[in-house]
Amino acid sequence: MTKPSEDREDRRLELLQGTLDMLILRTLQWGPQHGHGIGQAIRAQSDELLKVETGSLYPALHRLVKRGWLKSEWGISEANQRARYYQLTATGKEQLVRERTKWSQLVHAIGLVMNPTSSEEQGS
Amino acid sequence: MRPPKLDELDEEIRGHIALSIQERIERGEAPEAARLAALKEFGNVLLTRDSIRNVWRPRWLDGVEAFARDLRFAVRSLFRAKSLTVTVVVTLALGIGANAAIFSVVRSVLLRPLVNRDPDRLIYIRQSAPGVGTENLTFSMPEIRDLTSNAKTIRQFGDFSTVDLTWIGLGQGPRVVKAGVVNGSFFDVMGLRPALGRLLKVGDDGPKAAAVAVVTHKFWTTVLHSDSTVIGKTVRLGPGMATIIGVLEPSVPYPAETQIIANMVTSPHHLGATMANERWHRMTELFGRLAPGATLEAARAELDAAHAAMLHAHPESHAAQERVRLQVTTLRDQLASPARPILLLLMGAAAVVFVIACSNVANLILARSVRREAELAVRAALGADQGALRRTLLAESLILCAAGAALGLMLAWPLASVAGRYAARFSIRALEATVDASVLWLGAGLALAAAVVLAYVPRLPSSTRSGGLKPVGGGLRMTPGTNRRLRILATTQIACSFVLLASAGTLLATLNAIQTAHTSFDLRRVLAIDVPPPAAGPAELAFFQEAARQIGELPGVEGVASGMIVPWRDPSSGLKFQFDFEGYQPAQGEDATTCRFRPISPRFFAVLGVPLLSGRDFTDEDRDSTELVAIVSQSVAQRMFPNGDAVNHSLSFASGRRRGGAPRRIVGVVADVDDENVVQAPSLTVYVPQLQMGGPTRLFVRATGDPYALVPSVTRVLRKMSADQAIERPTTLEDVRTEVLTPERLNAFVFSGFGGIALLIAIVGVAGVLAFSVSARTREFGVRLAVGATPSQIVTQVLREGLSIVAVGITAGAVVGFGLARVASSTMEHVRLLGVLPAVAAAAVLVAAALVASLIPAVRASRVDVLQALRAE
Repeated sequence: MTKPSEDREDRRLELLQGTLDMLILRTLQWGPQHGHGIGQAIRAQSDELLKVETGSLYPALHRLVKRGWLKSEWGISEANQRARYYQLTATGKEQLVRERTKWSQLVHAIGLVMNPTSSEEQGS
Repeated sequence: MRPPKLDELDEEIRGHIALSIQERIERGEAPEAARLAALKEFGNVLLTRDSIRNVWRPRWLDGVEAFARDLRFAVRSLFRAKSLTVTVVVTLALGIGANAAIFSVVRSVLLRPLVNRDPDRLIYIRQSAPGVGTENLTFSMPEIRDLTSNAKTIRQFGDFSTVDLTWIGLGQGPRVVKAGVVNGSFFDVMGLRPALGRLLKVGDDGPKAAAVAVVTHKFWTTVLHSDSTVIGKTVRLGPGMATIIGVLEPSVPYPAETQIIANMVTSPHHLGATMANERWHRMTELFGRLAPGATLEAARAELDAAHAAMLHAHPESHAAQERVRLQVTTLRDQLASPARPILLLLMGAAAVVFVIACSNVANLILARSVRREAELAVRAALGADQGALRRTLLAESLILCAAGAALGLMLAWPLASVAGRYAARFSIRALEATVDASVLWLGAGLALAAAVVLAYVPRLPSSTRSGGLKPVGGGLRMTPGTNRRLRILATTQIACSFVLLASAGTLLATLNAIQTAHTSFDLRRVLAIDVPPPAAGPAELAFFQEAARQIGELPGVEGVASGMIVPWRDPSSGLKFQFDFEGYQPAQGEDATTCRFRPISPRFFAVLGVPLLSGRDFTDEDRDSTELVAIVSQSVAQRMFPNGDAVNHSLSFASGRRRGGAPRRIVGVVADVDDENVVQAPSLTVYVPQLQMGGPTRLFVRATGDPYALVPSVTRVLRKMSADQAIERPTTLEDVRTEVLTPERLNAFVFSGFGGIALLIAIVGVAGVLAFSVSARTREFGVRLAVGATPSQIVTQVLREGLSIVAVGITAGAVVGFGLARVASSTMEHVRLLGVLPAVAAAAVLVAAALVASLIPAVRASRVDVLQALRAE
């Protein structure tokens, strides 16, 4: 028997290309957060299924800042250390709306392809 | 948005790890284990940091990096083709260097503003007499009074005349300084400021003012060692004392370069009645500053009217055939206009050199690109698109052109000073020519233009063309299009070189003619010395007589004489008068009676080696109290006395023109000597005895040995006679002529330089084209040899190809060259651009050079190994 945590490691999902930005924007909707916090939040929200590597998370954060969707400022973290807090900008919020729409359209479309006769399957 | 700094990124990452550790400890892990786990979980810190920094890197940096890669690649590939690289760089350097040098001269003469305040309102007024070939007649004081008294369009006038004054003081001298004597408003009119002290003002005018002088900046820095305490000190200037009141700012010395500028009190000559009242006594230049609102045209019209009125009122002061007229221009135009055609000509020559250089380099690059077709095809096949290939070529040509420009600008330095000295005889402003930033920009611009052109010369292998990879294994293949392009470029070079060579040849021929021209003077053995006398009048004559006697006793001296001008060196335009000759009636409108007038001492002709043709020389007995006599030149004798009986007839100053209208008996005839022009022309000259006319200022000493060895002893004798005596510029007549010819020499030198460069480049071009064409046709020659052609037939064929390029080039060059010469000669009278003989010589040189250049490829073509050539593909 494997421990539940190890079991979860196996079940962990690869992030789809291009979805990390959307997840970050979504996470920051609850308010400013630092990089570590964002990573933890995505992990917790996904029921530990999604784990964001720091090697992807931080470049993504900086890319979003550069595009003007996030802004950042220094604050003091729970560990009593200086940490950079990220926050949505107005254009970032608009972008989140766009990405969310695109995403639900994509899920819907993929669902249609993968489950052409979902009602029959349910019935059987 | 600014990219984060490195330590900010580090801090962010540290913060992340600290949070991670804290979280783990809170979950109950041991601190040390928590730290290790957190670090492990984070992964590679440096890698993360780098990928964050990459996010912030601007996009254009990628392009720069790619181009830097291209440049590195280009350097490596050029390094493999060393001889090509060197040829191209040197060729471009010559082209760019010549252009940069000429441009810096052009800029200083034609484009740079004068230091004078508001130079557009500063005008220069000149009286000329085209009828007797006098460009600048200058003005006399009565004439200036007539012209200026009622002028409304000119706010102020400044006048300027030069005298030689002896300067003693401030550790200098006795030395002769050239002094500009000016009126008080001169500096205000010129719009010049003092660098130190003050300049002359209206209060310094008039014969009662204190004697004051301003020194020029050049004199102050070079002679007075930039000593600022000279202001307020007094020096002995001429017969009196004068106070130095200021230093003039550096400015263009016009109308004459002088060491000091002083008020009229310093010059006894200016205080005399002759200067003030004699209408014929012309030695003054005139400047004016336009009144507010007045235009140059208005000033011209007003002054012309005043001038016409003056001529009308004083008909005796000008002979009709002199056709005296007034010129009114801005000073700026006056300075630039004589130089403009010459400079444009030089610009043309430099541009031609640049065209030759570029077409030659284009040739080399084109040939190289054909050689590289295989390499380019491989790179295209591996996925390089057209842009990438073009970028590679651009990188290469950029490196070549940048190197060429750098070397060219280094060359521009010495070239600019040579060209500046050359152009200085047309406009003194050329001496200010320096190579500076704007010239660097020009060089960079030329290089960039060349680079872009060169990068687009070669064809690129197109992906759609079939069999792009085929040539890899085989030798060179040349398409007819490439061949034609190579030939056109080579022909252009030949044509341009022909034009340059032919004009250089013409200039050299002219120079040679001048230098070997026979003169009646004995050039090598005669020393000419400027000896401005300490006093005027009878004492001066006595001084020269005594000096001649004492110097004549020195060992090594064969004879001593004195006169007023050193041939070629001293300006003598003022020493020309009209004479009446006994029994001679000039034809209507003829100006033949204007003769040069030369007061000389006895033995003058013997000392200078001028043969006495008939009659006698002057003697010490020809003095004020005895009969008035004259000697005339051969031309005068032949023209005025066609019966050969000049001796014992008489001449006199044309009636009403000058003092001493009394007749003089002609006692001798001497050979013609032209002391104004180095190119000897028949000259009408009247000599009179110094003792009857006065004014000696030049000593001539004929030596038995080295003339310069006499300088110390002559100086000693003169100083013993008068301690304050200035003794200047002892030079043999031959060296005077050499000095006078310096501009012509430079002229020929500059054009020969251009011609030589052009020839060199063109020969490299022709040889390159043929060599390439031969190596690309190895197979063809192999086949020919295999089917029975003899090697000599092959040689002849290649030579014929080379000669056809040259023949077409020369023909084109001749057509264009003579056409240009015709256009140019309409704007420049005295510049002969193309002679037939030099043109033929230039053509011969080009043909000979092309033959030599074609011989090597021709021989190589005839030695093609048949079997190898046939097997090659």
